[in-house]
Amino acid sequence: MTKYLMKRFLLMFPTMLGVAMLIFFLIRIVPGDVVELRLAGDSSSVNAKVLAEERAKHGLDQPVWKQFLTWLWGAVRLDFGKSMWTGAPIYEEIKLRFALSLQVAVMATVVAVLLAIPLGVISAIKQDTWIDYAVRIFSIAGLATPSFWLGIVFILSMLIIFKWLPPMVYTPFWVNPWQNLLQLIWPALAVGYRYSAVATRMTRSAMLEVLREDYIRTARAKGLVEKLILSRHALKNAMLPVVTVVCLEFAFLLGGLVVTEQVFNLNGLGLLFVQAVAHRDYTLVQALVMIVAGFFIVVNFVMDILYAWLDPRIRFR
Amino acid sequence: MAINAPSDVVVAVDDASTHSWWAGIRAFARRRPLGAVGAAVVVVMILVAVFAGLLAPYDPVAVDFGAMLSRPSAQHWLGTDAFGRDVMSRLIYGSRTALFVGFGAAFVGATMGAILGVGSAYFGGRLDLYLQRLMDIFLSFPLIILALAIVAILGNALHNVIMAITIPMIPRCALVIRSSALSIREMPYVDAARAAGFGHGRIILRHMLPNVMASYLILLTAFLGQAILLESSLSFLGLGVQEPTAAWGLMLRGAAVEFAETAPWMAIFPGLAISLAVFAFNLFGDSLRDALDPKLRSL
Repeated sequence: MTKYLMKRFLLMFPTMLGVAMLIFFLIRIVPGDVVELRLAGDSSSVNAKVLAEERAKHGLDQPVWKQFLTWLWGAVRLDFGKSMWTGAPIYEEIKLRFALSLQVAVMATVVAVLLAIPLGVISAIKQDTWIDYAVRIFSIAGLATPSFWLGIVFILSMLIIFKWLPPMVYTPFWVNPWQNLLQLIWPALAVGYRYSAVATRMTRSAMLEVLREDYIRTARAKGLVEKLILSRHALKNAMLPVVTVVCLEFAFLLGGLVVTEQVFNLNGLGLLFVQAVAHRDYTLVQALVMIVAGFFIVVNFVMDILYAWLDPRIRFR
Repeated sequence: MAINAPSDVVVAVDDASTHSWWAGIRAFARRRPLGAVGAAVVVVMILVAVFAGLLAPYDPVAVDFGAMLSRPSAQHWLGTDAFGRDVMSRLIYGSRTALFVGFGAAFVGATMGAILGVGSAYFGGRLDLYLQRLMDIFLSFPLIILALAIVAILGNALHNVIMAITIPMIPRCALVIRSSALSIREMPYVDAARAAGFGHGRIILRHMLPNVMASYLILLTAFLGQAILLESSLSFLGLGVQEPTAAWGLMLRGAAVEFAETAPWMAIFPGLAISLAVFAFNLFGDSLRDALDPKLRSL
């Protein structure tokens, strides 16, 4: 057990190194570089000497492997350097956006869990009735609806029906909680619906599986109240795969909100990533990917520990 | 069937097989009505895409400044967009883009994933270890982030968009196929084939691949919907299919949002088309999964 977790822990490092290498070289294959884009703009008549000087300033004249090692050494110490486009420290660029994306991701998760667990349980108990069918259609529809379009529909219907538009300028939670929630609840709902679909389906199938177990039959045979059987015996045991799915989706949400952020005019990590790629802002792209992928890798690892802790039967290789 | 069967017997067998095909479809429809509905919608969509030229009332790229932003009417059933282009015609032609990208990406992604997954499981050892680590790296990226990076590198021609959607899907498929291939590798018939002295190629092709076909088909249908969604997201961001090509995600971009209040039909219908298409694929894929392999529930 400890040996397995140790192995899993150590495996995180080569994976992170792989991610670092992949994004470092991928972003450098993209045609054009930040210096050209920033200095030349539309006209391409900047003299070569200025370009070369500017590149040297960012260390872009060095051999690629040397650039990589320099950057990697910084990244290991969590020092991602400065944005090549704005010149501001990466830490400053990311700080506010990270809080925003994280808040939307957390709110979407809450929406998803609140929808998914009751729906999934009901659907499993009433398997093959119209309730089950309705829940399944509702959740398949959630998977099929692009959340950015759902966002457009939300905004549009509020505009047409209530003649009211949610605030489009970001207010941090600690400045004005009400204003903040009023803005962020809509993207959270749009994303949360899709996300709940995955969790609902998982809850349903896990419940169905558990309800067929012997100990449930035993509990029924000894005359336990159905409510208790469901909450204590079934739901508890069905939660493990649901927790997995919820955590995995959450880990992806941090960087996966790109399109929804665009619709709601949210200046989050996703939008920042799109801009950074467009500007060929190497340092910013690299830092963002390391944060998003690192978050995912760590969440994955923590889940493995959680698994072992929640279900002592699990024996790892 | 005997090798030297007389020709009339062969005809009879053919008849029986087409008959059982129909019976199979009917049985599927009776047992899984939702799946049948999904399949029917998919078939209709394919027909619409194939016969787009006959069905579309207007040229999807014809600009008509006299009819800008006109409401749904007898001339334009679903209204027109900011350039006076007929929304319905663009939706009809858009199904071509969606299906082309969807089938292209899902087919290539699932196939590459299956090859990697089966190879990784069959050969095991070092190869498996390295391939798994490589997959881990790709899996740590959110789908859309990886797709965005690839589009930035390759540019946004249609085949590049397909490639950008395919690459993030390969490791996800390889993971699933690998785990089902691992259990097949331990089957006695694989041992038997090895004992009989068959080469790796033959064992993989004749014994392993046919037995992961169920997982493969399930993944393929699951990816179809995802690919269509991802394409529309990329196009919506302006990084996918480019104007003036008709694509559903692209139709939601720009003017559709700016004029959403006065011309909501521009924003509503393309979104409905995406949802309906993905919904149908998922409905069909779900039933297929239940029918073929109920254990693969996590997809």
